[in-house]
Parts: sequence; C-alpha cells; structure tokens
Amino acid sequence: MIKKFIHQFASPKTYIYQVDRAYSYIFYISLVLYLVSIFWGLFLTPEDFVQGNSYRIIYLHVPASFISQSLYIAMAIASAIFLIWKVKLSVYLVRSIAPIGAITTFIALISGSIWGIPTWGTWWAWDARIVSTLILFIMYLGLISLHDSFSNHEKADKFLSILVLVGSVNIPIIKMSVEWWSTLHQPASITISDKPAIDLVMLYPLFGSIVGFAGLVTCLVILSSKLQILRRERNKSWIKNYV
Amino acid sequence: MFNFAFNSLSEAFLMQSQNGQNHGFFVWSVVVIVFLCILSTFIFYKINIKKLSKKLK
Repeated sequence: MIKKFIHQFASPKTYIYQVDRAYSYIFYISLVLYLVSIFWGLFLTPEDFVQGNSYRIIYLHVPASFISQSLYIAMAIASAIFLIWKVKLSVYLVRSIAPIGAITTFIALISGSIWGIPTWGTWWAWDARIVSTLILFIMYLGLISLHDSFSNHEKADKFLSILVLVGSVNIPIIKMSVEWWSTLHQPASITISDKPAIDLVMLYPLFGSIVGFAGLVTCLVILSSKLQILRRERNKSWIKNYV
Repeated sequence: MFNFAFNSLSEAFLMQSQNGQNHGFFVWSVVVIVFLCILSTFIFYKINIKKLSKKLK
C-alpha cells in the first residue's frame, strides 16, 4: 500500500506541477521572513557582552550550518527511499540537493572563518567541528562528481544513493564534535532538552533567519530538481506539454 | 526589544564594539558573501531552466 501511494504521488510529473504551484508562496514568505530577521539581528538586537558586534554573524552562519546538515539528512532519507522502493523522483532529489548542500556548507565555512578572525584570532583551526564540516563540503562535491562521471544513469543513481547513506555517518560526528572533543568552536546554544544559552532577544531573530533561510533553500532545491527532471525526463511525452 | 543598536548609519557600518574594535568589516563581508551566493544560485538555475525549456520546445 505504501509502495502504491509513493509511486502514485511521487511521479516526477505530479511533483513538478505541485511544486510549481507552491514555489511563489514559499519564495516570497521566506524572503520577507529572512530579510526581516536579518535586519532585526543586525540592527535591533543589543551587542553581545563577550563577542561584541561580531556575534551578529550568527544570523547568517547558524542558518547555513544548520541547513547544510539538514540537507544531507534529507538526501539520506531520499536515498533510502530510492534503494527500498525504487522511486525515481527520490534519486532526482538526491542529485538536486547535493549542489545546494555544497553551497550552504560553503557559506557556513566562509562565514565561520570570517567570524573566527575577531573571535578566535584566526580564520582557520584544525578543530573537530570545522574539519567535519569541511569533510561534509568535500562529500557534497564528491557525490556530484561521482554521479556525473557515469554514463549509465541507473548505475550512477544506485552508487550515489549507497554513498550518501554511507556518508551520513558524518552528520552525528559534526553534531557531537563540540562535545566529544575539546574544540575552539562553542557548544550548541540551542538544544531540545536544555534552556537556550542565548537570550530571547537574540533568539527570536535567529529562529526567523533559520526558517527564512530554510524556505529560500527549499526554493533552490525546487529549481534544481526541476532542472534535473527536465534533463532526465526529456524524452517523455509529458515534458513537451509542460515546457 | 526594538531599539536600534546604533545611533547613525556610520556607526552601523563600523559596528564598533565596547572593546573598541570595529567589527563592521567582518559582519558586512559575511552579509555580502551570503547574499551573493544565494542570488547567483537563483540566477544560475533560472537561466539553465529557461535555456533547457527552450531547447525542449
């Protein structure tokens, strides 16, 4: 029953028409939320007692870092769905998410490095959190190159899905790195179990920027997946009607 | 909660902290990089979808 449900509603054709309808709403709501939250964080929150004004980078760094890991988890789930139920759309999504994941990880690395200069006195340290995030970035690039190096799409899809699942071991390492090892990077300010270590005045715009950024990234994934579907399904008759 | 943290545009640009250091350069560099990355990715995909759609027509 689950298989029938997935195959019926996860066809590339149904997906592309559904996301086209939702795209504008997600885009404009996320854009407004992101811009308002960034403005709030940059101009309306007070200066941090320890880090001074450099802490304002949090409103750009944390959303990128959080989303870069979330995108990998989404890829791992889609890969499992492809390997178990052979849903084509899920592997298209895996391939579409990879470049967006690489960009968000790049933003997380660059913003973290710039933040490190006034805070730690260095732009780079071979610290567990930073290195595991760098590995995530290299993994995203590696997965894209691996998939594109195959001429046989079926083989490429299978290898990509398996490698994504193997690589997902890096996500708990990134998450726990600040607790398992002694690192320069500060521990998480927001956890599910404890009270946030950050003041509410600073926390609200942070939540807004995370949600807004997630929405914008969703729009990028929609565009990337549309491109992927157009490339892979170009010989299907419905594509002619769609374009 | 909604008081401006800076008194003028130049203060907001420099973002001088209580320890006397100006953090504006770091913060604004990140803002520019993030917005450029997001914008260029949107443009890249929009252009490529348009090109491919034209080709498939």
